[in-house]
Amino acid sequence: MTDFARFTNKKVMIIDDLEGMRAQLKVSLSNSGFDKLHILSSIKEGIDKLKTEKYDLILCDYFLGDGTDGQQFLEYLRTRDLISRNTIFVIITAEQALEKVMSASDCAPDDYLLKPFTTSQLHARLEKLLERQEKLAPIDRATDAKDWARVVAECDKLIAVKDKYFVEGCKIKGAALIHGNRPKEAAELYRQVLALRSIGWAKLGLARALDMMGEQDEALRIGRELLAESPRFMAVYDFLAKLLVAAGDKQGALQILQQARALTPGTMSRIRNISSLAVSTGQPEVAQEVMQQALEKHKYSPVREVSDYALLSKALTEQDKTEDALGVIKDAQKSFSDEKSRAVLAASECLAHQRAGNEKLAEAALAEAMAADMEQLPAEVAAAVADACFAMGREQEANVLLKQAIQNNPDDSAVRERVQGVLEAAGKGVEESRALIEGSAREVIQLNNDGVRKAEAGELEDAIALLSNAAERLPNNLQIVGNAALVMALDLNRNGIKDERLQVCLRYRDMLHGKAPTHPKLTQIDGLLNQVRG
Amino acid sequence: MIDDIAASGMEMNDMYAAVVHDVKNQLAELSLLLNARGDAQQELGIALNAARRLTELLLLQRQDSDMLEINVDLVDPTDTLQLLVAEYCDLFPQVALQVDVSEAPQLGFFDHALVRLALANAVHNACRHARSAVRLAARRQGQMLLFEIADDGPGFPPAMLSDNGKLPARASLNGTGMGLYLARKIAGLHTLEGQQGCIELANDGGAVFRMILP
Repeated sequence: MTDFARFTNKKVMIIDDLEGMRAQLKVSLSNSGFDKLHILSSIKEGIDKLKTEKYDLILCDYFLGDGTDGQQFLEYLRTRDLISRNTIFVIITAEQALEKVMSASDCAPDDYLLKPFTTSQLHARLEKLLERQEKLAPIDRATDAKDWARVVAECDKLIAVKDKYFVEGCKIKGAALIHGNRPKEAAELYRQVLALRSIGWAKLGLARALDMMGEQDEALRIGRELLAESPRFMAVYDFLAKLLVAAGDKQGALQILQQARALTPGTMSRIRNISSLAVSTGQPEVAQEVMQQALEKHKYSPVREVSDYALLSKALTEQDKTEDALGVIKDAQKSFSDEKSRAVLAASECLAHQRAGNEKLAEAALAEAMAADMEQLPAEVAAAVADACFAMGREQEANVLLKQAIQNNPDDSAVRERVQGVLEAAGKGVEESRALIEGSAREVIQLNNDGVRKAEAGELEDAIALLSNAAERLPNNLQIVGNAALVMALDLNRNGIKDERLQVCLRYRDMLHGKAPTHPKLTQIDGLLNQVRG
Repeated sequence: MIDDIAASGMEMNDMYAAVVHDVKNQLAELSLLLNARGDAQQELGIALNAARRLTELLLLQRQDSDMLEINVDLVDPTDTLQLLVAEYCDLFPQVALQVDVSEAPQLGFFDHALVRLALANAVHNACRHARSAVRLAARRQGQMLLFEIADDGPGFPPAMLSDNGKLPARASLNGTGMGLYLARKIAGLHTLEGQQGCIELANDGGAVFRMILP
């Protein structure tokens, strides 16, 4: 144990609900040279700590007292970007079989430690993990910035060395190509790996790439083959379900996900998928059972979302159990009291009252839901309120909300699916719903193009009016916000500084930077502004 | 099909698993306590071995109901052996553990978790019977990857060399029977283009355990 120094500066979080294990892990890690240890007993404390601290290493037991397990905790952290990709996450477990289930999920921990273990074993494992952490740091930085092109470039450097991180490099590169919408290159890479050996993650990656290239049949075939070979490869269930939904087979998707649920309790995102599929295929009793069970298990856990309660309440409402639905909403109000959550829950309440025939109460609830600042609402909330609007026959308001959601999240397929779901539930046909969504998306593209064309034609004032108007309405649409900042910067650059305009321009620039720190437009905007500001 | 498995007798299995899990947690705590004392290697070894046997028991149960499956990935065999040495050097301080990876390929294709478990069992047995040294090696053998665990003890008893990997008729007291049986199954589940993994036992200046994977 020569390199104590390597461990001393590393910040470590340990989460274990057993007091004895906590104490002993502390001794073990201190003996290995770690001296920045935060030892906690629940993930709730862990999440609190993560608000102010950054960690190099998190050691988390799989079974934790409060119902949410280590794997679900990791999914929570990763999907919300609460930890850097470079933070090592190790799950400690006494059950060897769990390793398989977890390693084959989309949010796999960096390593597993099978209990019991000795101090030397722990030390040796951490040494290897820290070595890998250092090696992957440039790639992880690019991943954190969601700069997929840079991830690919960094992986290429790693792959070229052809050392033991070769495979790791291929794996991350493949995922980055998929994220960066480069399915052809991804497919080629996965085929190269598969030429070495039939490896699960490469097969799934190939299927994903093929799906993006429009070859759904082949993607489906590979997915099914993979499931037959490795029934514990959990990510395959989710992938197949997604394919089936896209093909219009919601019932088939639901079946696949229920099979997955029979194997492992699974992450909340799968539970959400199952429940909403069940509601939309007319099986609210299934949705009720699945969601009720999950919420019971995660009773005091931060992995719950207000939309989970909305879904449960909806499942109950559709079975005419409106009293129970209102009870669920009341229960949820205890944990979720911010403006957005209140809007979602008021929309659920509206649905329950409407179903029970209490029009007045339903109207009041809808008014409450719509009291929130509609332009600032996240898509999920807008969709929930739109759903209630449809139920109350206020179609026009519903359409405005849904259009807003689509235009504000132009590249988010989950938002499109959600909007599609609301439209279909409101009785619109599949094709009609799709046309509405496409129309909304096209409209905003058209608007953007008009703005750019005007700017190119020298009509800067018109371009600024058009784009800044749109940017205020669609603060999440980075193309709009970026172009608004750009045309303003162009004007400031050509026609001299006007203080007020500079302030607005900088506000848009910061909005863009906040959401995409490596957005290519930033360089252009900053270049123009730097010239005028000297 | 999966639903059927879940419905049939899963409750009892769940209870077995829960009890095994609980016992392993207790052994984990005990291990770390013993570890911290620094003068209780032998006791620590007993606790860890007991835990490993429980793991084997669960795997055996899976194998019995055809639920033992392997997930092959690319793994660095050198890492695998080095981690094993880290595990056993504390437990058997009187045994010199040597790693020979001079001819090891950079990457191997195997189920890391299961192979590690099978090799751990072999290393444990080797350490118990060794006079002074155990050698862990990985190298290429033709198209296959070979792991070798060799000790300088009295060697395998003749009956073991010829048992062909049947499950021992009764649970043997030293636990080698079950571990070896499982190791054969794990090796055998690794297949590629008509080739199948296997275990070889030999006596050559001590007991030699080889796991050969395609």
